Amino acid sequence: MSQFIDADDLALLASSFEAATADAPGPSEADQALYDLGWAELLASAPGQGAATAFNALGATGSAASLLDDVVVNALGAEAALQSCCVFPAPHKAEAPGHLRGETVMVDGLLSARAETAVAAVLGMGTENGVGLFAVDAGLLHGPAVDGIDPGRAYRRVVVEIPAEALEPTAAEGSWESAVAAARVALAHQLLGGARWMLGEARQHAIDRAQFGRPVAQFQAIRHKLAESLVQIEGAASVAGACLHDPDPMLAALAKSLAGQAARTTATHAQQVLAGIGFTAEHRFHLWLKRMLVVDTLFGSASSIPAEIGHQLLASGQAPRLIQL
Amino acid sequence: MDPETFRRDLGAWLDDNANDLTPPYEGIGSMDAHMAHYSHVKRALFDSGFGRYGWPESVGGLGGSPLLRAIIGEEINFRDLADPNAWTMIEVLAPTVIDFAPPELSARLVPPFLRGDEMWCQGFSETDAGSDLASLSCRAAETDGGWVVNGQKIWTSFIEYSQRCVLLVRTGEPESAHRGITALLVDIDSPGIGYSPIETMHGRRDFAEVHFDDVFVPADRLLGEVNGGWQVAMDILPYERSTTFWHRGALLHRRFSDLAAQVSAAGNRGDAAAKALGQAFQWIVAFRSRSRDTQHQLAAGEQLGVETSVDKILITSAEQQLFETARDLLPGVMEFDDGLAAASWRNDYLYSKAATIYGGTAEIQRNIVARRLLDLGPES
Ligand SMILES: Cc1cc2nc3c(=O)[nH]c(=O)nc-3n(C[C@H](O)[C@H](O)[C@H](O)COP(=O)(O)OP(=O)(O)OC[C@H]3O[C@@H](n4cnc5c(N)ncnc54)[C@H](O)[C@@H]3O)c2cc1C
Repeated sequence: MSQFIDADDLALLASSFEAATADAPGPSEADQALYDLGWAELLASAPGQGAATAFNALGATGSAASLLDDVVVNALGAEAALQSCCVFPAPHKAEAPGHLRGETVMVDGLLSARAETAVAAVLGMGTENGVGLFAVDAGLLHGPAVDGIDPGRAYRRVVVEIPAEALEPTAAEGSWESAVAAARVALAHQLLGGARWMLGEARQHAIDRAQFGRPVAQFQAIRHKLAESLVQIEGAASVAGACLHDPDPMLAALAKSLAGQAARTTATHAQQVLAGIGFTAEHRFHLWLKRMLVVDTLFGSASSIPAEIGHQLLASGQAPRLIQL
Repeated sequence: MDPETFRRDLGAWLDDNANDLTPPYEGIGSMDAHMAHYSHVKRALFDSGFGRYGWPESVGGLGGSPLLRAIIGEEINFRDLADPNAWTMIEVLAPTVIDFAPPELSARLVPPFLRGDEMWCQGFSETDAGSDLASLSCRAAETDGGWVVNGQKIWTSFIEYSQRCVLLVRTGEPESAHRGITALLVDIDSPGIGYSPIETMHGRRDFAEVHFDDVFVPADRLLGEVNGGWQVAMDILPYERSTTFWHRGALLHRRFSDLAAQVSAAGNRGDAAAKALGQAFQWIVAFRSRSRDTQHQLAAGEQLGVETSVDKILITSAEQQLFETARDLLPGVMEFDDGLAAASWRNDYLYSKAATIYGGTAEIQRNIVARRLLDLGPES
């Protein structure tokens, strides 16, 4: 049964999560540190608030921790554990990553760094009766190493074929749809945590950096870029927050899309305000930018989700009244 | 009364009275027709009791949370029963007049406003004082038993239909900026007031230029303190950006739904149309969610302030994106069609361009966010 955590306790959790992820040298150390802090129990008892707090921290610290596996596993009704990982949908998509072709399962999706150490993986596969959930030996998913853009290799693409007989049905009660919704809300918080970090860096730089005899923060062109970023972040954050009380999958999709858009806008504006120094490898900005590009593609992006929702609206010929007073 | 019961009872009442409350005109209708129907709906709501909830008993209300007022406007706008702009004036002006007028004055004047028997307007802007409102120069000089006002105002919405006006006047030295401004509640039929309507680009006589020629205003029409008009103006802003925004957000939601229905019926179901619709919808929902948070702060008695500029930027962006999307997805309709639906799209498209001008321009809102929310220090 899920319980509700009060604001003071949440703030405390948030700062301990941030400290733990900021200090961890890599994803597996970060996972371990968060498990030591009670992340798995938190997720089981208060999944919405727990994920929101943890993923905001991941965004704020630029951590490559693999908590998304836990969120999905938990939403599917299983127990999150460091030995378990999950196959995520292919970039910009939300469909289950497995497809059956005769005796072979084609897997086209994404894996987090957790997959390197995990023993078992959960694989969603499209069947005639909706998405089926299967357990598979994580070792079968290992493919050629791909570096990609992600600075900490938090995620990588997996395109492999595995024999159907390697799959074992799981007893998971949760639906793929609810796992997608939970992942989207968590990722929205990560994007927003990252966007707030980028905005904070750009804001401080604008105040500290002087040109033409005054801080560049005095120039209206700079101010309006930062203001626009904050407005998008606050709009998206409100929707992500509303998902805590409303499990509507469309709302979760919108939260992810809006957060992705806010992060894109903020990254563009922050980059411009940081200017030369923000284009260097030395400045940390690019680490957040690249992570944001990756996280944006997970479970549908700010460019793919609007079309997904638009198709639902066109099919029903009306817009549902989301968000109640 | 709890909000959900209220919404249910109100919904049932609106459905029962749908014949009486549905506008008699088709499509956008004339300004006169709009205003007449608006008054009719307000009166029916007031007399049924629903329209009195959320307002203090001292002005003829039945008390209860301001959320109830947000709900009324939402249900009215989802059903397209009355003009949301005229309604705005009540939500913008009445709370502030209640806060600042002497109690006996608001007890006498506010009830007819709430009942739709009267319309009020807002006389702030002047030809030379738009964004820089604190530079206004319409003057009030103290006289025996009150004030004498001389000067002009512009863009005063609804003055043709109004009985009273919340007027900002200069009472300090010309250079006194926001420290020398006073707010008065002025009767429009006072001798010496004249106005010439200005037609808008969407073909309406929404606003007017107003002249004040030795207009006497009795002393008891003072709102707040002498030279304290800026506080009155600042008090209005959060109201302007809470309940009325929730109402307007409902209108945008309904128009979005209309658009989805028309595009769907036209068989335009490709990815490009879907994506454009989804992008427009997500900002409508973002605004609605943000505004919901604001409604609850207001209901909890919190002081709303500069953070409502975020709501303002969100709703204006959502509104303009919605009608630009409509123009794209209903190709040629706004430009070349004289049907009723086309006239509505045209009207709403053109009117959406004002959203980033009235109530503080888009640029002024971003200045506020930068200065007050991001704490970037003064501009150069
Ligand atoms: C439909 C409609 C209804 C209205 N109804 C009313 C009403 O009922 N009562 C009333 O009093 N007024 C009303 N107004 C007036 C409205 O409040 C003003 O139009 C508004 O304050 C802007 O003033 P302005 O038009 O003089 O533009 P200006 O202030 O002259 O601005 C011109 C341009 O300069 C920009 N600008 C100005 N200052 C700055 C700055 N510091 N930084 C950056 N950019 C800046 C503006 O953003 C704008 O783009 C209404 C206006 C409209 C369009």
